[in-house]
Amino acid sequence: MVRIAQISCGTEYSGVQKEIVKAASTFGAEIIIPVTDIDHIEDAYKKFGFNCASSGIKLMIARAISIVEGKTDCDAVFIATCFRCAEGALVRNEIRRFIQQNTNLPVVTYSFTERTKADELFIRMEALSTVVARKNILAREKQEGLTLGVDSGSTTTKVVLMENNKVIGTGWLPTTDVLESATNGINEAMRGTGYTMDDIDGMGVTGYGRLTIGHKMNAELIQEELSVNSKGAVYLADSQKGEATVLDIGGMDNKVITVNNGIPDNFTMGGICAGASGRFLELTSRRLGVDITELGPLAVKGDYRCATLNSYCIVFGMQDLVTSLAAGSSKQDVAAASCRSVAEQVYEQQLQEIDVREPLIQVGGTSLIEGLVEAVSDVLGGINVIVPEYSQYIGAVGSALLVSGMGKRNEE
Amino acid sequence: MSLKNESKEDLDTKMIILGPASGVSSSELVQKIHMLKLPLTIKSTCYGAMVHGEPDVVKKAVEEARNMDEFNIFIKDRGFPPGDPRRCRGHRGAAREGFHQLEKEFKLLGYVGEALANPKEVSLEEPQKIPVNEFHEIAKSMDLNDEIDE
Amino acid sequence: MKIAMFPPNSLILEDLIERSGHEPLSLQNQIKQKVIDPEIDSPPFNMTEEDPIKGLKYAAIEVPSGVRGRMSLFGPLIDVAEAAIIMDESPFGFGCIGCARSNELSVFYLRKKGIPTLELKYPTNQDETRDVVNKITTFLKQLGGA
Repeated sequence: MVRIAQISCGTEYSGVQKEIVKAASTFGAEIIIPVTDIDHIEDAYKKFGFNCASSGIKLMIARAISIVEGKTDCDAVFIATCFRCAEGALVRNEIRRFIQQNTNLPVVTYSFTERTKADELFIRMEALSTVVARKNILAREKQEGLTLGVDSGSTTTKVVLMENNKVIGTGWLPTTDVLESATNGINEAMRGTGYTMDDIDGMGVTGYGRLTIGHKMNAELIQEELSVNSKGAVYLADSQKGEATVLDIGGMDNKVITVNNGIPDNFTMGGICAGASGRFLELTSRRLGVDITELGPLAVKGDYRCATLNSYCIVFGMQDLVTSLAAGSSKQDVAAASCRSVAEQVYEQQLQEIDVREPLIQVGGTSLIEGLVEAVSDVLGGINVIVPEYSQYIGAVGSALLVSGMGKRNEE
Repeated sequence: MSLKNESKEDLDTKMIILGPASGVSSSELVQKIHMLKLPLTIKSTCYGAMVHGEPDVVKKAVEEARNMDEFNIFIKDRGFPPGDPRRCRGHRGAAREGFHQLEKEFKLLGYVGEALANPKEVSLEEPQKIPVNEFHEIAKSMDLNDEIDE
Repeated sequence: MKIAMFPPNSLILEDLIERSGHEPLSLQNQIKQKVIDPEIDSPPFNMTEEDPIKGLKYAAIEVPSGVRGRMSLFGPLIDVAEAAIIMDESPFGFGCIGCARSNELSVFYLRKKGIPTLELKYPTNQDETRDVVNKITTFLKQLGGA
């Protein structure tokens, strides 16, 4: 059984401890509390050197040191503090770094409220337990042989065929029937390569439809998107060592994942309104009478300050847009303003909840809109944003990469 | 039996802590409580003992226990019943949070016992700083004039 | 009299109050009410998401859930307190009193209540302990009949 050491403050008093234990056991893991004794707490706290007022936070530090010193037998670490507690957030991140720098244990962090979302907790625990179970696979940095990666998302299905560390075929289509979309996507990716399903060495699947597709098509790897997307992003962006943030502004919702040496350690997902998503940009380009692929270059030429567009809601956002155009704003300025508006809302709704680390790797279909990428960097104070080639196929590339470490199916 | 019938809402749990200066041993303490023949759950622990039962009975037991060494036996309430798996060290891998505090307070119990044995009524007012002039007067009266810089 | 104490789970304070014949308002009794409730199954304290919401009586919604959850335990003790002993700078208190902000808020509410209150510093040596014990017993005696 995977042993997850919990380092936290406030989980019991927020009523979420039970949820944590439940989420862990769902994925075959158990929660343990690191060993500390009173003298050790004082020594550890002094040694660590972070002055904090709350003794619960001091205890967290002592527990982290107990893990680093090998006094606690565990396979992974879960660090959690209350949302909006400054002391908790600071120490949570320092402990996270400390454990990552001094051990090989996977870590995930979490800031919770009493209304903690079960999904968010589940995906963290799943990531932790699969990272432990699949450590060797996740260590893979190079794709070998001929492998297929499928990312069955809620809106689109993405497929890549990779051979010897290169993408040689891609497929992209809306998800209708999960299996049918995957099959069509695979055919699209195979087209012109001369290969068929009989030739591949392995298949990896991620995304919402992963279980259905994976079992039906006998995929060697069925893996949640958190670790697959992180791996795909750092691989394509050539940032496999050290820290990074992966940002995916999706068609309907957004994901932000923080990564250390290619392994995810925190994420947020969601988005209150489509006004903070790719959908808004799609509507903008329709209103401007341009193709979505033209919106990015248009936005780069414009100045967002010259058009008022700052609504939180997609409906009012569109009204603002019409008003700006009527008032004589140029298409370029309106395009720039809509990119800026999405970036600002992603910042306010999500990026503020997570410790954004450089470089920021922007992925997903919206990463192809240059104006949006520029706006994200600008909103984050000029942070280095990388958009790697094939950024829209991130999950599929991650799957193809990881599955190549699992041997060749035809040789079995 | 329904869950409600198993409810032990009216039962108390108290910890009996032997101070560092206590001449009573943990086994003597437990034996003494057993001898009272009260309907209690009694558990020997590293700090002394824990008793669990009807409030009146628990009260009687801790009073008797305290009489064994009045100034060196201390009593504290406990929220969880004895051996509750939710707080058990063996089950969680580490000591419950409250234990660390007990460890710390335990170190002062010897002094507390001593103070209790030699009680003194004291002023609850914080000592005030005296005005400079008044200090001057005191100094003068003590013939320390030479050392004070006007 | 019902005496609130801070830290609300202090062995020394609870013991001295009980010796004096007054009633210590211990946090453990609050915990007891929760943990023995067979209707709730949310280990370890049977605290659920409803508790931080009950804590809204003492701290606003913008305050972290852990503070509000703790206040749902301390708050009712403060509400019924007739006198208080506050021991500042207590070195270690984990769990219920592991959050500095919750502790500050609790002490503030006790002071604001205007009940007889004795404020002390946690003793670290023999002389200080003797002084603290004498002050507490004197204070409790001055409060009069239990």
